[in-house]
Order: sequence, then structure tokens, then C-alpha cells
Amino acid sequence: MSKLYILMDDHGHMVMNTTFREQFRNALTGGGEHQSFGVPSSSVDRHRPENVVAFLDNHATKQWESILHYMVGTASMQTPKKAVRDLLVRSGLMSLRLDNNELKITNKGFQFLLQDVNTQVWAFLLQYLDYAEVLQMDLVEVLNFFFMLGSLELGQDYSVEQLTDTQKQVVEDLANFGLLYRRKRSSRRYYPTRLATTLTSGTSALLGRHPTPSTVNPVAGEDIATEQGFIILETNYKLYAYTDSPLQIAVLNLFCDLKCRFANMVCGMITRDSIKEALTNGITAEQIISYLNSHAHPQMKKSMPVLPLTVIDQIRLWEMERNRLQASEGHLYEQFRCQADYDNVLRYAQTLGVVLWSNARKCMFVVTEVGHQQVRAFIQKRIAQRKNGATNTLESKTYSI
Amino acid sequence: MVKVIKGVLLQCDPTVKQVILNLDERDHFIIEDLDETHVFVEASCVEKVKKSLEDLLEENTYKFESQPPNNKD
Repeated sequence: MSKLYILMDDHGHMVMNTTFREQFRNALTGGGEHQSFGVPSSSVDRHRPENVVAFLDNHATKQWESILHYMVGTASMQTPKKAVRDLLVRSGLMSLRLDNNELKITNKGFQFLLQDVNTQVWAFLLQYLDYAEVLQMDLVEVLNFFFMLGSLELGQDYSVEQLTDTQKQVVEDLANFGLLYRRKRSSRRYYPTRLATTLTSGTSALLGRHPTPSTVNPVAGEDIATEQGFIILETNYKLYAYTDSPLQIAVLNLFCDLKCRFANMVCGMITRDSIKEALTNGITAEQIISYLNSHAHPQMKKSMPVLPLTVIDQIRLWEMERNRLQASEGHLYEQFRCQADYDNVLRYAQTLGVVLWSNARKCMFVVTEVGHQQVRAFIQKRIAQRKNGATNTLESKTYSI
Repeated sequence: MVKVIKGVLLQCDPTVKQVILNLDERDHFIIEDLDETHVFVEASCVEKVKKSLEDLLEENTYKFESQPPNNKD
């Protein structure tokens, strides 16, 4: 904070910058004109939904999952709006297929799916910021709005009256992702959902994903909202997932061979083929392992280590299998005239840092594509120098005669 | 003064290198055999080598069959 000049050193005491101090006090006590914590709407909402919090959670989950479903390719209820699809393409999570103008998920998209919800939401918001810059929206106002979002209260509606035009645009865009809820486009108020209020907190952003009793009645103060794990992994590579969410089943299908599905559970196996397919799609072994770890059933979490080591090591081994052979393009330098030449050129190439392999006994080494141009120039210069040196000595000899 | 050859440097473990030397007997793509873990080959055949290597390793892995094969008499 001292680098930002918010805190300054004054004879051994830390002093807060005066302007910052005043505004901070204003924001905390609610005085002055500001909307750091959102302006609650003054009028009562006639269409306020019953059981607001549960409704908002439902809405947020539906919206967010429909986006993720669209990415995975499962047939879901609604395709997301064009703005969302544009953002998906811009962030590199999906790419446009040339043959039928549809979007197809990319490697980065697969990795995105395995991350937890908070990370996903933030990734989206950061992409949105980049997009906003391209659209020439005022970044400061957008950022202002984001920070305000993080401190809003779940279940309280806020008015859009005080927002600037840019921020009103942001409200509309965020409603598409499920971070905010508006009854219709022209409504003057918006409700933040759990996805928005947990932007800056560590608790889980989505409830109601798992049929566990503790998450059915969320109390205000979201301490109970910890994401329950649901995966059990055995040492014989069999996997049991206690979930009925199509999204999670689709994500599991990415790296696991699902065998059968029941009302509240799916079971399958982690096989060499299923992991190979995931690796071909760009998912790394680390991501699979951390996904399994973070969604492990509480029963699994009681034992240490959480996941069976045999399976973990085998997944890593399967990944290393793919990397047995490494190919790098380059140029081989051989048949040097003498050892000194070899040493000289090798030393030059090493200072450039372009040597891939060298062998002093055989007097040869390999240089990268990039480095080749420079090394060749160096050699040609030396040849020219040597020629010049030779002609010079020749001249001097004739003179001496 | 110096001979420069353009190609691809393959780095691998000694086992895989022997496999590559074997493949070379049929197709002749190795420019220079550097040491136990490095080979210098022509750029055009890298994909083919990778594919043949994968096929060979696949042949030699044991896969767990979830259901025993039916013996139909």
C-alpha cells in the first residue's frame, strides 16, 4: 500500500493519505454522496419473488450451468445470448467451427471446466474487462461497479437510478451470466445473486448443486455454503460420484469412462483410454488430480492422503508416457576445421543460449532455428576476418621482400 | 570450414532411441546418431516416427478388461 501512496511514512508512524482517509470514512459510515456499497432501491418491489434467496440461487445456478452446458455440448434448455457467446470466443474458451458456424470447445475451455466456480467467474469478469476496453467503455466505471458488486447483500434489491450509462450496460451484460437478476430489461432494480456477492469472499458461489441436507436451508451469513464433495475414488480405479447434475456428469465424462447411472449416483472407471483422451484434449494430469481432490467426498477426506496414491501416480505416468519423445527443430554443426574453432563458436552460441546439445569429443553441436541465423553470421564474420588476416600477412610478406 | 545441416533433434530415453534406430533400418531418416539419448533426423519424418512409436508402445501395454471374454463353443 505504501507503493500506491495510500500509506506514508511520517517520522516513524504510518499515516494514511488524507484524501483516502476521508473517503474511506465516508464509505464506511455511509455519509456523503457515493455508492460504494450499492444504493438499495427506495420503493418496494411489487413483483418481489417469494423466498428471494432460494429463487436467486436457482436463477444463478440455471444461468451459469446453461453456459457451461453449452461449452460441453450437452443439449441444454437454452443457448446463451450472443453477447455471452462472443465473450466465450474472445477468451479462447471456444472457437468457431468453419463447417457449420457453430462453436466448439478448445483446450483452454476444457481446463476452464475443471476449475472451481469462483475462479471461473473471475476469469469471465477479467475477459469482460478486456472486451470493455475494446468497446471503449470507461474502465474505471466498470471496475467501480465490480468492486461494489462484491459487497452487495444477497436478497436485497438495488436501484439502477444512480448508475452511469456504462454501468447500466454492465448490469445488463452481467445479468446474462447469472450474476444479477432483473425481472425484465427495463426494470429499475436488480438483485445480486450469490455468484456476485461471493466475488470477494472465499465461500462457494453456487448452492444447490448436490442433494445434501446441509445446503437445503441456507442461513443468512453464508457459512454453510461450502461445496460438498461427491466423488469416491477406489484403489481399483473405480469411481463413484453421488450427483445428479448433468453438468458434473458431463465434466466427469471428460476423463472417466462412465459405466452406469442411477438416480443419485453415477459410477465408472478411470482407464488408460479415458485419461489418454482427456490428455489429447489438452487437460493436464495435475488438473484432473486437483479436480478429484477438491470434489472428493467428505468420507474420502477423512483419510490421508485423500486420493489413493496408486491412481494418482498412474495418471501422472500416463501423462509422461505421451512425452517420451521430444522433438525440436534445429541445425547441426559438424566437421569443424579444428578444436579451437569448435570451442569459439560453441562459446558464442552458449552465451546466446541457443545450444540444444553439444559433444566436445565429436566436435559437433545443435543450435535452435532462431539461434542459427546469429551463429551463421558469427561464423561468416570469422571466416572473413581470417581471409583478411591471411591477405594482410601476404601483403606484409611481399613488402618485406 | 563448418558443415551445417538442417533437421530435427529428438530427445528421448535409451529404450525409445533403440526403437527409433530399428525404425530407421526400414526408412533411413537418421542424419546423425548423436549419443545415447539424442538423435538428429530429417524434419519430414518426425510425425511418422511419433506415430510408429506410439503404435509400438500401445502393442506392448496391458489393458485391464472389465469383462472376461465370452468363450462361445
